[in-house]
Amino acid sequence: MTTLDQHVGTRPIPNPKNSLITRLNVGTGLIVGIIFAIATYQGLAKVLDTSVYHLHNQVLLATMFMWSIGFLVGIGAFIGPIRWLIGKDLTAEEQLYMAGDGQGIKRYFKYCTDHKVVGIQYLWGVIAMLAVGGIMAMMIRTNLANPGGKFITPSVYNSLVGLHGITMIIALIIVATGPFGNFIMPIMIGAADMAFPRLNALSWWVLFTAIPVLCSAWFLGGIPTGWTAYAPLSVQAGPGMNAFIAAIIIFAVSTAVAGANVTATVVTMRAKGMTWNRVPIFVIGATTSVALAIPAFPTFMLSMIMTAMDRSFLTGFFDANVGGTGWLYAHLFWIMGHPEVYVILLPGVAIIMEVVPVFVRKPLFSYTAAIVGFAGITGLSILVWAHHMYISGWMPMLNGPFMVTTEMISVPTGLIFLVILGTLWNGKPWLKVPMLGVYAFLWNMLVGGITGLYLSDVPADMYLHGSMYVTAHFHYTLMGAALTGAVAGLSYWYPKMTGHMLHERASYISFWLVQIGFQILYLGMFIAGAEGQPRRVVDYAQQFATSNMVSTIGAYSIGIGFIILLWAVIHSWRHGKIAPMNPWGAKTLEWTVPYPVPLVNFDTPPVVTSDPYGYGRSAK
Amino acid sequence: MSEHDNVDLKPTPGARLTKFFKRSDVIQSTIFGVIITLVFVILGGKFYTQWMPTIMSTDMKAIERLMVVFTWIAAPVCGVVLGIALYTFLNRHSGDTPPPDGPATRTNGPVVLGWSVVTSLLALVAVIYGITEMNSSSIATAKHAEDAMVVNVVGNQWVWSFEYPELGVQSHELMLPVNRPVAFHVTSVDVNHSFWPVQLGVKVDANKLAETLADTTPTKLGEFDVKCAELCGLYHAYMETTGEVMTKADFDNWVIEQGGHTA
Repeated sequence: MTTLDQHVGTRPIPNPKNSLITRLNVGTGLIVGIIFAIATYQGLAKVLDTSVYHLHNQVLLATMFMWSIGFLVGIGAFIGPIRWLIGKDLTAEEQLYMAGDGQGIKRYFKYCTDHKVVGIQYLWGVIAMLAVGGIMAMMIRTNLANPGGKFITPSVYNSLVGLHGITMIIALIIVATGPFGNFIMPIMIGAADMAFPRLNALSWWVLFTAIPVLCSAWFLGGIPTGWTAYAPLSVQAGPGMNAFIAAIIIFAVSTAVAGANVTATVVTMRAKGMTWNRVPIFVIGATTSVALAIPAFPTFMLSMIMTAMDRSFLTGFFDANVGGTGWLYAHLFWIMGHPEVYVILLPGVAIIMEVVPVFVRKPLFSYTAAIVGFAGITGLSILVWAHHMYISGWMPMLNGPFMVTTEMISVPTGLIFLVILGTLWNGKPWLKVPMLGVYAFLWNMLVGGITGLYLSDVPADMYLHGSMYVTAHFHYTLMGAALTGAVAGLSYWYPKMTGHMLHERASYISFWLVQIGFQILYLGMFIAGAEGQPRRVVDYAQQFATSNMVSTIGAYSIGIGFIILLWAVIHSWRHGKIAPMNPWGAKTLEWTVPYPVPLVNFDTPPVVTSDPYGYGRSAK
Repeated sequence: MSEHDNVDLKPTPGARLTKFFKRSDVIQSTIFGVIITLVFVILGGKFYTQWMPTIMSTDMKAIERLMVVFTWIAAPVCGVVLGIALYTFLNRHSGDTPPPDGPATRTNGPVVLGWSVVTSLLALVAVIYGITEMNSSSIATAKHAEDAMVVNVVGNQWVWSFEYPELGVQSHELMLPVNRPVAFHVTSVDVNHSFWPVQLGVKVDANKLAETLADTTPTKLGEFDVKCAELCGLYHAYMETTGEVMTKADFDNWVIEQGGHTA
């Protein structure tokens, strides 16, 4: 109840009597969703014989989509549009109610349009996904501790590899733009909310419905294909594959909605005076990331729809027997897949760039270079996808051009390094936890980038492709760089999001356990890969025993580190040191609003007269 | 931190540069950078020669050399990034209050330009090196198109089969004569696999109803591993076999033992 004290003092809590929206929440959503799912399954199972492979797939897919739609009906996602269509739009009071005004903790379980509520919902969604994905990683590493590991069977192992992969990919896509992009970014640009608050709520709750769908894979025989879900393996796979397909399609809808919303917000709702060269760099990075997702994810959706049709209607898009080809799938997948890794990376980079000037007390070095870096990476990232297919045999003649575009990415990436190093140079960094993340980012991104250079090279990739070396490389970029950036962002913005400081000692301990464990884990994995251990294997030859043992030890260190961080996040939420309004002395707009942040963020709309990096004494 | 901020614009560029290189932070960062570069040049190269498997073909030799050369290209980048990072890390500010503001440097044109040019050149070197290697590999392929021994490789869940059409032999182990170019014609009867004779340094996917090609020339006698490098279902990890590079005489004997005929 504390959050809205300032408003509540001046007017009564909105109470739109007899309005349906007051009775709907996540509980009614679950009930309606489950009813829809059961009705669909029972109804279709009567007319379609579920013992037939493709008919069973039809029934399961329909059930999963109907669950998602049912949940959204039950939580009230369609009330707004329907009321609008019949010409009785929501009253002002109902809209205020929908924004969660005066509802305390309950609003986190409703279809709430307040961007700050959506940000917190995303935060806990991401934490839950990272926890599940992390537990899966621990199980994988436990089985790989020794050759001949019997901790899990090959079938469970393959499922874990796929589920760990896709869970982490989804979690990392939203890890920064979800919590911080929703909670912080609108305040950062001086807006009262997102451009489309109802779409904002929709993007979160659509994503929410994808989570049980993905989890159901576990009970339907798992995802034996890895997260890449290559055809024809995916067409051969059991009913669990439907869960993967449905989850991705639902997730693609969510990102499309969120991407359009974030882009529209940043383009149209910046504060007066916030010209493009005064926009905080995190906003630029997050916007670039979601803008890149807008063209990328539809091809993922398309590849999944085609896989679903191959499985449900035996269409044979990817079946060589009837003239299809697996290469088509690989193309559709990677046309999404390579932009997607930058969708993950860019917000992490942008958080690091946002943090450095604050803790070094210097302006961001060459804002222009940062923009060119982001733009260059974004532009090139849509032209490199077939470097995942050098050895696929698809068209060896085109390997050269794709190698050139891939290696060109090192130039804009170099600019990113220049911006961070230039800001550090001549500075005396204030080594708080977010700043530690900057150093971890630099090292991890350097290792990830340089190992990417070997992989981008066609002859070297002949050897390295499909080996543990690749696994280590992309964990350095996605986890070592992007997730490290997001964790830095969490400790940086935690005071604004919760009103409390994140437990400092616990975050330090967590940081070192995670980062040192990370280096150990992936050093072992680089060695295993160089020695010739393929990735995604449940077992391996004796010669890889030492490097795998080293990796497993590192993995446990990371696991313990993240448990400590989770404890710190939960503990500090209520019991942490009370945070001042601007604990880091930063100059971006989010630090000018009090905690709890008022419903419309600013009492008077701010006017911006300079960029937020005006640190430093002048040279003369 | 103090003296260098007051560098005036008045002195000549040469004098400013001399003064710049006399600054203690510049000297220290440079020393760190040089040490880190040397460490990467020495250890980085050694990492790959140490851990990568025995070189048993022309391709594997080229790959290992390439890994070492790329490490050298990357080493100075590591030196610059980590040298500066390490210096600032050691000169950190601790305490609960923010440090005083640093100099208000917004940008530095020559630095940005120089950095872009140097990273572009390094990328260009990598590109040229890679294309040269690809080219010499294609030339070798073309040269051996006539005289290479053909081996048809078939992947099915979860076994590799090898057929020597010219010799009338089939096997689940990959036997090869030394110094004789070999061309692999790879296909699959079910899902995607990836044919990987590890120590030979070639790899190509096996696709259903499509034939993909790879070729090399084994140069060293001895056993090697054949693995599958593309997740292909339940027993992907166990889809492996062994191969051996043998002398011409041993290979001919093996062919006859298998009921084939020598070419």
